[in-house]
Order: sequence, then structure tokens, then C-alpha cells
Amino acid sequence: MREILGKLNKVNGIRGSMVVNRDGIVVASDFSVDADEAGMGAVTSSILAALDGALKRINMGKFTRFIITGSENKIAVISAGQAVLLVLLQTDVNMGLVNVEIKEAAEAVRANSKM
Amino acid sequence: MGLLGFLSQWRTNAKIGSLEKALQGRPTPQLYLQLADAHKEAGNSSKAAQVLKLGAARFPSAPEIIRRQAEAEKIEREAEKKRLIEKIQSHPNPILYARLAELYKADNEIDKTIDICQKGVKAFPKYGGTYLVLGQIYVEKKQWQQASGELEKSVELDKYNYLALKLLAQVYMELGRPADAAQRLEDILYFAPGDEAILELLKKAKEQAGQPVETKPREEARASKGNTRILKLAEKKPAQNQRDKALNDGVVSLRQVPGVTGAILVDQYGLVVAADLDSSLDEGLAGALITNIYRTTSANSVKLNVGAFEEGLVEGDNGNIHIVQVDEMILAVFAKADVKMGMLEKSIRDFAGAVVQS
Repeated sequence: MREILGKLNKVNGIRGSMVVNRDGIVVASDFSVDADEAGMGAVTSSILAALDGALKRINMGKFTRFIITGSENKIAVISAGQAVLLVLLQTDVNMGLVNVEIKEAAEAVRANSKM
Repeated sequence: MGLLGFLSQWRTNAKIGSLEKALQGRPTPQLYLQLADAHKEAGNSSKAAQVLKLGAARFPSAPEIIRRQAEAEKIEREAEKKRLIEKIQSHPNPILYARLAELYKADNEIDKTIDICQKGVKAFPKYGGTYLVLGQIYVEKKQWQQASGELEKSVELDKYNYLALKLLAQVYMELGRPADAAQRLEDILYFAPGDEAILELLKKAKEQAGQPVETKPREEARASKGNTRILKLAEKKPAQNQRDKALNDGVVSLRQVPGVTGAILVDQYGLVVAADLDSSLDEGLAGALITNIYRTTSANSVKLNVGAFEEGLVEGDNGNIHIVQVDEMILAVFAKADVKMGMLEKSIRDFAGAVVQS
């Protein structure tokens, strides 16, 4: 997992990433900035519960991705099988340019989380 | 601006840039205070207040930042009260009364809070948010019977109001009615599944009621469907509600973007202000689901390292939801997966700009 994150974090505009399981437990993390990984994992679990419930009731299918833009950074929460990939990004990042790398990393996490 | 003024502004902007960079690396309370001072020096008090708020959220036990944040909030509240009083006189709508009452409540001006709520209820008796603020006041005063009366009215008008339902359940517990509390908590789980605080309260309520502890939400909340649109609430005073008409028109126009299947605008209490949704979707439920996502995300945005929440994009297999904070309201736009993002984002920005200016 750390190899997947290390490769992803080399992409311009990405400040760090982590993998958590659906209960919010941190599986692996790699951040270039100060981050409370355990807190981020716990919060992700609450957000996933809200998203899963909403998408189901609005008939939008299964959750695939949530991108949050804040005043300081962006974060992408991506479904990756039994795990979830979190990617912290600069607010001015060009999502079009980083989408491919994020998708590849999520696929790699999904494959690894099956093992 | 003279040369000296230009140089001074350049220095301040450079200082802001360097402090922001330092904060992204390793944040400290001191850096937040310095950044707030720099924004204040640049004449941007609201940005300074926002920085202090973020700093206080990240360092809740740093006394200086907490003190400065409280001061900044007090100043902002006073300015907001003045603005709301003027707006109530010129363009009254129920949200303005509830918001003003909440500001008085924050400053512990209880009599004024009750007075504004009563005026709001008299002018707009079908708006649940004002009853909610009144209920909160009676809860603080531990007047449980009065609190349950106001909160029941709020829930009757809006069956999906998270705050009102949660508070009503807590009041029922105080009144020794754990079975009623459990029913209200189960109603919340219908639109906020997995909410840990609610599950915990439900467990306690069921234990006290002697019921088996299971946490399956009921398929449908019981209360009658509320009619929460401002336009409908204020239909007797159409001339006074141009802004509300503009909000409705704006929401309807968003649906004209190819690929958009609906849009909804909810206020800070989770009540629907304007909506144009597919007929299969209950607008009260949609508002509650969006508010739940917004509340969970914005309350935790500092922990997620993104700062203050600005917008979110939820993607599912069959479509996506754009959630944007607009002038203390939440706009959600539902779209198909193949919606043209650039066009949609421009339409959302135009709508948000029009709301802020109105």
C-alpha cells in the first residue's frame, strides 16, 4: 500500500494520501504535511455512512467518489473495494490532470485490499 | 493609492502568502494569529475571522486563539444583527427571523430571542425553524413541557429536521417518555443512517423503554409532510418576497442545464427554501439527506485538513450531486454522470453570485 501511495504522492498538486478501511481504521498513510491520520480515518467512516444512505435513497447507485473543496485544500475520497483511498490535494490542482493517477491508485488499492 | 500605500499593501500581501504557506506545512496557533492579524491589516476583517475560526477548530485548547475568535465572532454577530433587522423591515422572510433569534441566543439575550421568535411565528406560522429556536431556548431553561410543544410544532412542519427531532427525543427522555424518544431517533436514522450519536441515544432510549435494542430505521417518518417552501409560506405577501422568487427561479434555471435532473436549496436548519426535483423524489427527504452530508462534512473539514468547507461533489454509479454553500444556505444540484461539468459549474457560480448580491 505504501508503494502505491508513494507513487501517487509524486504527482504535482498532491500533498499526501492514505488508505482506510470502511470502519475508518488507517491501513497506510503518506503525507508531506502535518495530518491527524487517525482522526481523518474516523471522519471518513462517518462521511461514508451519510453518503451511502443518501445515494441509495436518491437512486444514484453505489458511492464511487467524493471531492471536498475547502479554504485550504481539496480532498478526494475514493471507493476502492473493501477500502477507501483519501487523496489530499492543493486547491488549485487541475483535477483533469490528476484524475488518471488517482484512478490507477484506487484500482491498485482495490486489488490489494482483496488479498 | 500613493507609492507608500502600494508598498505597504504589497508587503502585507507577501506576508499573508508566506504565512499561508507556513500554515500548510506545520500549523501552529501562533501562525493562525499572525495570519489573522495580517488579514486585518489588509482591511479584510471577515477573512481574519475565518482564519481565527479555523485556528480555534484546529487548536481548541489554545487560550489566545479562542479569546480572539470569540471577540471576532461577537463583532460579526453585531453587524449581522443590524443587517437582519433592516432586511426584516424591507423584505421579511421566515429565515431572517430565525437567524436573528439565533444571534440573540448566542449572546444570551433570552428575552429578545423569545420576542423575535414570537414575531416570526406570528408573521410566518408555517416555518419550522423559528419553533426550533424557541424549543432550544426552553431546553436551555429546562422547561421541558414548553420545549416539547415548540419542537413538536417544528417537527410537524418538517418531518426531516435532524436538529428538531434530536432535541425532541432528548426532551422526551427528560419527560420520562423513552418510547417516544426512540421513535423520533428512528425517524432520524431514515435519512442519517449510521449516525453514531443518534445510535447511542437510541440504545439508551430503548433500554429505558424496555424495548429490544435494534437500530433499524423505520421505512418512513410518521409526521405529516411539511410544506416548507418560502414562496408557499409567504404567498399572501408576494410583493415582499422578490428574493425568494429569485431563489426559486434560480433553482428552476439550474435544471435547464443538460444532464441536470434537479436542484434544491436548503437553509441552515435543513428546511427546503426552493426546489425543482424529479417527481419521484420527496423534497423534504432530499433536503434532509443533503443537510446530513453537509453537516457531517463541514463539521469535520478541519480534521480532514481542507479548512472551511466550500463545496463538495458526490459521485455515484448513476449520477452525481454538487453541494455548494451559498450565503448560509446549501445548494445541491443532482446530475447525470455525463453532465457537462464546465457548464454546470458556471451555472452554479452564476446562481451563487446572484444569491449573494440579492
